[in-house]
Amino acid sequence: MAKQVLSLAIVLAGTLIVPLGLRVLNHALPGAEVRDSYLPTVETPRPREPFDQAAADAVRDVQPQFVVIGDSMAGIRIDPLQLSRQSRTSVVGLYQQGSPVAYWYLAFKNLAAENDLKNLRGAIFFFRDDQLTTQVQVTPGSLDRVARDREPELDRVLAANRLGGFADVHRAARTVYQFDRTRIWLEPKLLGAPATFALRATVDKALTAPELVTAINTEVFALDRLRPFEAADLAAASGSALDFDANVDDSLLPEIIRLAERSKIKLAFIRVQRRPTAAGPPPQSPALKTYVDALKGYLEARGAYFHDDWGDPDEPLSAYADGDHLTAEGRIRYTQRFAERHARFLQ
Amino acid sequence: MIFHSLAFAVFFVISVAIYWRLPLAAQNMFLLVASYVFYGWVHPWWPVLLLITTVVDYWSARRIAEHPDQKKKWLWLSIAANLGLLGVYKYFDFFVGNVAAAGAALGWNIPPIALRLALPAGISFYTFQSMSYTIDVYRGHAPARSRFVDVAAFVSFFPHLVAGPIMRATNLLPQVERKRSFSPAAARDATVLIVWGLFKKLVIADNTGVIANKVFALQHPDFFVLWAGVFAFAIQIYADFSAYTDIARGVAKWYGFDLIRNFERPYLASGPADFWHRWNISLSTWFRDYVFIPLGGSRRGPGRVAANLMITFLVSGFWHGASWNYVLWGAYHGSLLIIARSIAPRVPKSLRPLQVVGMFVLTCIGWLIFRETELTQLIADFSLVPSASTPLERSAGLYLFLLALLYSVPLWLHDLWAELGGRDLTASIDRPEPAPRWSRVATQAALCGVMFAVILVLRSQTALNFIYFAF
Repeated sequence: MAKQVLSLAIVLAGTLIVPLGLRVLNHALPGAEVRDSYLPTVETPRPREPFDQAAADAVRDVQPQFVVIGDSMAGIRIDPLQLSRQSRTSVVGLYQQGSPVAYWYLAFKNLAAENDLKNLRGAIFFFRDDQLTTQVQVTPGSLDRVARDREPELDRVLAANRLGGFADVHRAARTVYQFDRTRIWLEPKLLGAPATFALRATVDKALTAPELVTAINTEVFALDRLRPFEAADLAAASGSALDFDANVDDSLLPEIIRLAERSKIKLAFIRVQRRPTAAGPPPQSPALKTYVDALKGYLEARGAYFHDDWGDPDEPLSAYADGDHLTAEGRIRYTQRFAERHARFLQ
Repeated sequence: MIFHSLAFAVFFVISVAIYWRLPLAAQNMFLLVASYVFYGWVHPWWPVLLLITTVVDYWSARRIAEHPDQKKKWLWLSIAANLGLLGVYKYFDFFVGNVAAAGAALGWNIPPIALRLALPAGISFYTFQSMSYTIDVYRGHAPARSRFVDVAAFVSFFPHLVAGPIMRATNLLPQVERKRSFSPAAARDATVLIVWGLFKKLVIADNTGVIANKVFALQHPDFFVLWAGVFAFAIQIYADFSAYTDIARGVAKWYGFDLIRNFERPYLASGPADFWHRWNISLSTWFRDYVFIPLGGSRRGPGRVAANLMITFLVSGFWHGASWNYVLWGAYHGSLLIIARSIAPRVPKSLRPLQVVGMFVLTCIGWLIFRETELTQLIADFSLVPSASTPLERSAGLYLFLLALLYSVPLWLHDLWAELGGRDLTASIDRPEPAPRWSRVATQAALCGVMFAVILVLRSQTALNFIYFAF
């Protein structure tokens, strides 16, 4: 019996001890320079892309009065040049396709509020449904280009969001095993092999393996080739994600508002309308409606401007291309309407 | 609660530690409470349905034993209650929607009344398991139990509650009733199985699942990309479902229970019948024993056998979900079996490798039907031809196929190794050694460590639910 217990202990110990070899591998294999993460609670030191100073400089050169922030929902609705012309202001778009609210917060902070923009008066955020307070999934490196060396507010919020009651366990595991660092150098090598092999089958021999992967992602899986989303996939949504009061304090929304107050920047939040049905606006669950009402109340109580596009008769199904994206024509009309309807905010 | 969460790890360690300090009667009560906590962790109302099923079947079985002359009535009560629960939660909206669509085709305006109820995870599994208890009592294969706690612990036993394997009363209930003792050797083998299950889920299934999801999000995929996505899905569903079974069996073993194997290298099957002896074995045998055989099984003429097979597979397809593609998937596999029964004797044994490859291709065709819930899209998928693809799409298809293949290499190696006579990680748990062989222990420790390291590094950044939670 004692031998059997010992054998069980050896297997359990092996499970926990062998992964320490990752530290040895990280140390032995040459890699990029490892730096402390700007999110020390949720990431171990790792190589990182530098902050995109050129992008910050470009925004500063324009000295805009307004910035529009968001993912493709913003990009497919607002043409900054057209909006600048129509509102007789200067508008810059800070868009990143598929970006989470963590990216918007950093773009707002580092490219606008803390970028020495002397004329900046307002920031306009475009979002879908519960995106502003939804739980944040951030993959290592995805925020590098808009992150400074330290981002303590984001680190705190991500830790609370992602790790919950087990934050200390996650942090300890990351520190002990350093698996994030291994992933950074191992994954590209591993996943590059299929791309290299597939490259031999392509007619364009000039492509490199990373270029092939990029071409696949941007052309084969281009947005306009995706299936239309299920008619308002949030129609039946309910549950804890839509409990606004329970989520808002652990979201980035209070930080965005604090930052705006500190920098004397007025804020606008535009909830975009998801793809409508042929019969009318997209359905939404009672829980989602309650959530949006609570969000509106929260923002307006703090002096922010809120507008909900849901049910806008000027955004029928015919204005949409794929999914929740508008057509090129729809974008022109949306920008035009935006300048007219929100003229007071843009003053 | 899900197996691959720290919450479950804490729950598991604490519950095992308490469990083995209790006497048998208290162990069963503890298991019952733990199972209800596990099941109600996210949705506290789910255990209510579980309790209803348990009470109805416990009571029906008692009545069957006490009133043999009325046993058919009580059996039907149990079947009606279980299928009624499934019908309301799983099939009502589908049925009403189809009636409304059929009415509209005939010019009648039938307003669809959709309940839009969220499907409780595992309801198809535990209703079938619970129902099999009353059927076995009715048939005289098992006695009706007097202790409610034992029956409730059998129905709700949390390791396999949500996605099987479906255990029979004749197998699991005696285990619930007998005295159990902790075996470190069994726990050691169970640990290997749990880590292997976590590896399959987090590294293989979730990473290939991301590829499959991406491909099946395309409105107009080309031939190569689509079939690369189908291949990825084939890997995903096997790794995902068998991972759940492995973890369930490993966890159950820590509590002193043996759950049956649910998979035996299904993608190395040489034909349709062989495939169904290897895939989701607990469900296949359930349908064999409770649907196919009562229909007459193989006892009558070839025509009747073919009809019985087709009915069984149609029901099996419908069990998976309230959608026509599942019915079609069942019909497809039923047809394959019927055809194979007629031509199998003519295939020489030397062609077995070709048969395996052929069966894998046929299985993948089935997975396309299974994965594609829109029938119009399915028709479009089957209409694709290779010549219409661009060079970039051909490269993309090859790239995605190789990516899925790369992630699944450990799975293929394990299955091939076991098929050729090597040690099968999923089978060794059933044969614990009386005394440890240290070389084997060292190998197990190293294997678990390496798998855990790979999980830490290469687990998918996108966490996907177990596929069979949806059924």
